[in-house]
Order: sequence, then C-alpha cells, then structure tokens
Amino acid sequence: MPNGATFADAYPTQARHIRAAFWASFLSLGVGAFFGLIQALHRTDILRVIESQTYYTVLTAHGVFLVISFTIFFLVGVFQWAVTDSLERPPVDMRFTWGWYGLMSLGASLTAFAILAGFTDSIDVRANVLFTFYAPLQAHPLFYVGLVVFVVGTWLAGADWFRSWLAWKGDNPGERIPLPTFMVLTTMIMWYISSIGVAVAILAFILPWSLELTGSLNPTLTRTLFWYFGHPVVYFWLLPAYLLWYILLPKLAGGRLFSDPLARVVFILFVLLSTPVGIHHQYLDPGISEGFKFIAMTNTMFLLLPSLLTAFTIIASMEHGARQRGGEGYFNWLTALPWRDPAFTGMALAGMVFAFGGFTGIVNAGMNINYLVHNTLWVPGHIHTQVGTAAALTFMAGAYWLVPQLTGNRLVGRGLALVQVVLWFVGIVFMTNSMYRGGLVGIPRRTAEPQYEGFEYEVAAGSVGELNAQLAIGGTILFVSAMLFLALMVLTAFNGGTEPIDDGSIPPALSGPEDSPAVLDNLKLWVAIAAVLVVIAYSFPLASIVSRGGLFGPDIGPIPVAIDAASTVARTALEAVSAVVR
Amino acid sequence: MRIHQYERVWLLASMVLIVGFIATITYGAVGLGITMVDDRGATIAPDEINEDERFGDPRVEQVGDDEYEVYAVAMTFAFQPDPIEIPADSEVTFYVTSRDVIHSFYVVGTNTNTMVIPGEISVVTVEFDEPGEYGLICTEYCGAAHHEMEGQLAVLEDEEFDLTELEVEAPDEVEPDGEIEITATVTNGQLEAIEETVTVELGDETLEESVTVEGDESESVTLTVDAADLGEGDHDWTASAGDLTESGTVSVVEGSEDDTEGGDDA
Amino acid sequence: MSNVARQEDPASVERIEHDEFDPVGTLALIAFYFAVLVLLWLFTYFVEFLGNVPTPVVVA
Ligand code: HEM
Ligand SMILES: [Cu+2]
Ligand SMILES: [Cu+2]
Repeated sequence: MPNGATFADAYPTQARHIRAAFWASFLSLGVGAFFGLIQALHRTDILRVIESQTYYTVLTAHGVFLVISFTIFFLVGVFQWAVTDSLERPPVDMRFTWGWYGLMSLGASLTAFAILAGFTDSIDVRANVLFTFYAPLQAHPLFYVGLVVFVVGTWLAGADWFRSWLAWKGDNPGERIPLPTFMVLTTMIMWYISSIGVAVAILAFILPWSLELTGSLNPTLTRTLFWYFGHPVVYFWLLPAYLLWYILLPKLAGGRLFSDPLARVVFILFVLLSTPVGIHHQYLDPGISEGFKFIAMTNTMFLLLPSLLTAFTIIASMEHGARQRGGEGYFNWLTALPWRDPAFTGMALAGMVFAFGGFTGIVNAGMNINYLVHNTLWVPGHIHTQVGTAAALTFMAGAYWLVPQLTGNRLVGRGLALVQVVLWFVGIVFMTNSMYRGGLVGIPRRTAEPQYEGFEYEVAAGSVGELNAQLAIGGTILFVSAMLFLALMVLTAFNGGTEPIDDGSIPPALSGPEDSPAVLDNLKLWVAIAAVLVVIAYSFPLASIVSRGGLFGPDIGPIPVAIDAASTVARTALEAVSAVVR
Repeated sequence: MRIHQYERVWLLASMVLIVGFIATITYGAVGLGITMVDDRGATIAPDEINEDERFGDPRVEQVGDDEYEVYAVAMTFAFQPDPIEIPADSEVTFYVTSRDVIHSFYVVGTNTNTMVIPGEISVVTVEFDEPGEYGLICTEYCGAAHHEMEGQLAVLEDEEFDLTELEVEAPDEVEPDGEIEITATVTNGQLEAIEETVTVELGDETLEESVTVEGDESESVTLTVDAADLGEGDHDWTASAGDLTESGTVSVVEGSEDDTEGGDDA
Repeated sequence: MSNVARQEDPASVERIEHDEFDPVGTLALIAFYFAVLVLLWLFTYFVEFLGNVPTPVVVA
C-alpha cells in the first residue's frame, strides 16, 4: 500500500465492502446487546418486561446475533482487510466478493427472521432452540436453512482469500506468505475442517427431520456433530482477535511484533488441535465412553500451548513498544504504554480478561472438575470473558483504528472511546464475577427464573441478592458501553472531510519469517495432519454413537460393529494407569 | 528458528502447566475414583419407557446393604419419582433417562450432575453421607417452562428411611348377611427383615398383629367381620403399619353386589 | 532484518532491535501469571471441586 495513504484511498471498493460487513456486524451487536440487557434484568428478577417463556426467544436471539452474526461479519471484514493489505492486491473478482457477502447476509436474515418471528403469534414461525439447537428441540426449517446459507457464504469468502493468495503466489514465487494472510488462511482451514460437522448435522439429519422427510434422529449424534464444530468455532471468533493482537497491537504500543515465526507456529497449532477436542463439551453426556472423554481432555490441555505462547509474544511486543518509548524496570514499563489510545487500551484490557478467562476454560476442560460447573452460570461467565470480551472488546478497539482507515475519516470522540472500552471492562468484571460465583453455588445457566421453590442456594461469601445486583449492574454497564460504541461508529462514518490520525502502516516483526523454516508455510502438510488427527479423535466415538443409537435414531436397532473394541482399549489404558498408580 | 531464551523458558513452563493439569485430573480419576458419566448404561427408546421393568415404575430400590438404585425419568417439565428419598450414609446409583428432549439431572450445589439424553441412560453413583434436603433441577433448556422443572431429593436419617408400603384390600359394599374381609398387606422394599405391628379397625372390631416381613417380601393380615354385627349403613375402617395409615368406608346395604374391587390403596 | 520506515511516533525515543531487546518485563509478568494459574487451579480443584460433595465415583 502506498505510504501515507489510508486503506480507503488505496482500495476504495474493497473498503466499501468491508464497511458493509462491519455494519452488519454492528447492527447485530446492537440488537444482541439489547437482548443481553433484558436477560440480565429478567434472570435476576429485577425487571421483567417479557413473559418468562419469551425469555428463550430472547436468549436464542442473543446467542445467534452475537456469536454468529456480530463476530463472523466482523471477522470476514478484518480478514478481507488483512488479506488485501498484506498481499497488496484486491480480490481477483469483486463480484464474487460481494457474492459471498450477499449469501452471508441472506442466511443471517433468514435465521434472524425465524427467531424474531417467535415474538409474535401472528406468524407461525418459531425457533426457540437457543444457538446450540439441540435436537429433538425443533426450530422452523428457515432457521436451519439460514444457518447453512450463512456458512456457505463464509466458505466462499475463504475460497476468495485462497484465490487472492494463489494469484499473489503466481506473481511472487518463492516468497513467504505475509503473516496476516497466513493467519487468515490457516484460520479458514480450521473453519473448513470444523464446519463440515455442523453442515452434516443440519443437512443430513436436522433439516430433513424438520421438513418431516425423516421421522426421527439420534440426538447424541447431532449433538456430537454440533460440538465437533462447536469448539473450533470459538477459535473462529478468537483468531481474528489474535490477528489484531499480533498485527495491530504491537504497532499501537509503539513497538514491533516480537516473533513472526512463533506466530506462525501458534496458528498451525490451532489448525491441528482445535477440532479433535469437541467432546470436552460432552463430558457429562451418557453414551460416550470415559476413554474418549479422556482423549479429548488431553488434546484440549495441549491446545493451551498456542494461547500461552501468544501471551508471551504479545506481552513482549508491548514491552518492546514501551521500552522504545522510554519504559524502564520490571513492571514500570507498563506505565510507558499509550493508555490514552482507546484502540490500544481496549485490546490490552481484552487480553487481560482473556488471561483470566483462560483459567476458567481450563476448569471447563478438566473432565471430572466439569461436574462442578457444567451448565451452571459459570459457563456464560466464561463465554463473556472470552468471546464476549477477548474477542468482542478487541473487535471494538480494533474498529477504533480500522474504521478510520476504511472510511478515511477521523475517529470521533477519542476520549469517549477510551471511556467506552473501560466501561466494557468494568461491566464485564461485575457481570462475570457474579456469573462465576453464582455458578459455583449451583445457579444454572439458560433459565428465565433461577429462583426455585424447593431450596435455597448456599452462598458462602455474599448473598444471592448481591450476586444478582452485580449481574444486573454489570449487564447495564455493558449495554451502555455497547451503545456508546455504536454511536461513535455512526458519528465517525459521517465525519467527512477529516483524516485518520494514523497512516495505517504496519511495522515488520523484530524476528521476521526468514528466521523460521519454510515448512511452516506448507499448508497442505498441515491440512493433512489435521485431517488425520480429526479422524483419529472422532471416527471411533461417532461409530460408537451410531451403533448405540442408530443413524436416524432409536428406532433403528443397534448395528454391531467392531467399535466397542476401541473404546475398551481407551478405557483399559486408563485402568492400566490406575493399576500402576495404586 | 530463532527463539528467545525467555521464550524457551516459558515454553517449558507451559508444558509443565499442561502436564500438571492432566496429572491432577488423572489423580482425581484414578486416585480418588471419580468417574465420568459414560456408556455403561444401556440404551432405551423413549417409547419403551412405560414397558420397561425399571423405568416403567420410577422408584428407589435397595440392592445391597447400604446400596440403593434410583430409576428416574426426566420429561417436560418434571422428574419422576418426586420427591426422591434415600437414606444417609449409603451408596446411591441414579439411572436417569428422558421421555422427550434433552434434559439434565442436577442436584443443586453438588457434583451430582449429568446430562439426560433421550435414548440413553445416564448412570451416576454417589455417596450421601449427611441427611439433608436438596433441590433437583434440569439445567438444559428443554422448552418454554424449562425454569419450572424442579424436583426434590431428600436424604433421610437411617431411622426415618424405609421402603415399606401398606396396601389394603376392602370391599365397598356388602349385603347385610355377608362378611367383610379387610386385608392389609405390608411390603418390605428393603433387604433386611422388618418387624411391624399391623392394626386393622372396623367398627368396634380391632385386630392387632405383629408381623415379620422378610426383605423384598410382603405379609398380609386379614380382619373378618359379619356385616350383620355392624348393621346397615356406612362403616369406617382404618389400617396401619408403623407410621403408614390407610382408611376407607364400607357400606352394608341390601341388594348390593359383593365386590372387593375398588379397595382403597391410595 | 529489513529496516522499513518506522512510523513517526513522538513518544518513541529509541529504536531497539531483536537481539538488543531482553524482555525481562514480559518474563516477570508471565512468571506472575504462572503462579496465579497454579494457585487458582489448586484452589478450584481441591477446595471448590472436591469440597462440592457428593461426587460421582466408581462403583466398586
Ligand atoms: C450488553 C452486553 C451483554 C449482556 C448484558 C449479556 C448478558 C447475558 C446473560 C445474562 C446471559 C445468560 C443467559 C442465561 O443463561 O440465562 C448471556 C448469555 C450469553 N451471551 Fe451475553 N451478554 C452481553 C454481551 C454478549 C456478547 C458481546 C456476546 C458474544 C459476542 C455474548 C454471548 C453470549 C452467549 C453465547 C450466551 C449463552 C447463550 C446460551 O446459553 O444459549 N453476550 N448473556
Ligand atoms: Cu470447547
Ligand atoms: Cu430443562
């Protein structure tokens, strides 16, 4: 990109396309945050503006609008920016690029319609199935059709980026893939591998069943296919935040990325390990042997590695910025960071929250300790620290830098923007503190009225009233923060005749790609290894589930296969360990 | 690859953490014997539940000295049986299945927590040491009234707990020249024999008898009275065994059919 | 190592390359994080979890 020019100057059509993706994302954020506020007040019985049974329509909308629409529309925008900017070339065919955006919008609209129709009795369409849509709960077919169309849109987006990269490769033979593009491509590989699961669940089982083409299905099978996709999808939300942390945050801190090679290693580890772990969401499911759960647990624990490595590289990059700005000492350098910059501060706070949320994720992942927290309020606590802050706050902070580049306008209200990111942080601390502690005393998630007749929660420190107040206050602060963000974005979009403060350039890494072996860029190799790992982790559990419950449900008798052998092997291994230890 | 020395240190520390986490969990599984809900339960189609020997009649059953089994069914929006009563200091295995959608079975404030999936049977064995009252809730969204799906789990003192049942067979109507037979049957659901004093009263007649009921057996006591001794009209009866009581009314009327059906076994 | 034009940032007083940069602050912070993780884990596993009885166990 020509020096000194904003992205909007250099690629006006592409900037328009990315802005369109961002607006779709921000709209979803606004609606989703409003529903979040309703939930926070309803659950705690502080203000109930809806009937309790409508709560589940709200909750479905909250989940789908925020974790499907808000996050994914934003990330395709970021990815489009990253690919175009780092390859220094627009997409091969802009019509195709608009095409996938159109498909995603169509899909999201269909699904949104199916959900929102639940608010009125005049349309006979319902989809109160929450974003996990566990069968045999059944939504209107439009809900599923919309999801499929949306996901196909993202697949085509990925194809678009691969196409750009191949075109670039033709012009630049033998060169290393620029890091931002490398991150986009590896993330999309992970997405392709994992979203097959949900595609099969919907297309082969749930959609035909909702259209009454098939009479029944196997709930454990569709649930397992969902979680085959459901864990990697969290990395789909998170990796664009990682991309911003690796690419943008060092620059914002006044430094440079510490290590390009390790960044590549990290993304490769995500490609390899994100998918063969989904059974960790099913630790408490019957019908799946303990051996499979143990394997998923160990894989998940190793999946910590790329995140722990990221922590180091990101902090080191910030420290590099701080030192260049004159920072000193073991901890004092922290004060030399640009805390007045909302983009920087937002991302740094998001990173901090993520570091704590990482711990709560370890608890979720810890197989037997999952008994403590499963389906309690602890889990939405984890969700909001991770996707609700590590990703969402990073996106908002990133937008403070990106949107000026994409519009050519200066950010309106830099000071207010700083207030906004700090408010989000404060809100999330209140809300998730209440959720984590509430979860530990057994308050369930996903319920309109966690006030039961037959018992009281035993809160060791504090009280249920105090937990409720924190949840409601935190949720309200978050809502205010989200509205403030949207207002600043709208104002910035109309802030014509100005220029961004920053020139949009990204400094190179301290240790560049030349310091790493070229094999890291061999994407085919990683795809192959990832596929093998997935087959190893999933073929036996899936076969066992099908042999227990039938492909299309309990009506079909068990088909004996040589599968029990595998689960027995896994269990025997565990028992052998136990014998040795005892 | 150029990796900073501190980064190597952190890489090593990270591996230590990861292995440490796995080791703790393995210790929990192997050292402490904590086991996961798994595939040891059989499968059962939701439409087979009513005919099933265990789930057709959701209940608590004693299977060993201090061992009990609970066959429970989750459905929109209730648990069966409700309340579930078990004795303290015993080993209880819950077998839970679902009639319809996915539910959960969560004893609030404990680690007794499992998903309940239609077609599958969740099996969980726990030991309740202390008596107490627990909430039992479904934590998986299962429909519009999900938040009303609640049951009770009562862990009773040993003395308060029994699986004794009293059933009474008595006629509703009897001819003035007929005989009234009231049979009280005590069933002992536990394994150890119990001693019960069974009392049956009708009009001025009282029968009191001590019975010993062997484990998993039942014993009956019958009181026979001539209708003529009571005279025409309604006569109340009561039968009791321990703290269980049943009562009802028998009418002595002209022209009725002597039927012993409809005996009160509420 | 390429030396691409650095952005103008009035606050940056010097320029530090990879080999002259010793991220001691990072090491200190991350060591602290390590300790926090270990303590939180031990507390959550051994106090919160194991104290939350009864817990499903192996049937003898
Ligand atoms: C305005 C800010 C927000 C508020 C007040 C809020 C509030 C809540 C509350 C109270 C719940 C728990 C509902 C229940 O289990 O009964 C919830 C669930 C959830 N929230 Fe948020 N939230 C907010 C923002 C977000 C954001 C930004 C995201 C993600 C990007 C998010 C994702 C989710 C998800 C995935 C769930 C779980 C849904 C489910 O269980 O199906 N939330 N939220
Ligand atoms: Cu997961
Ligand atoms: Cu429920």
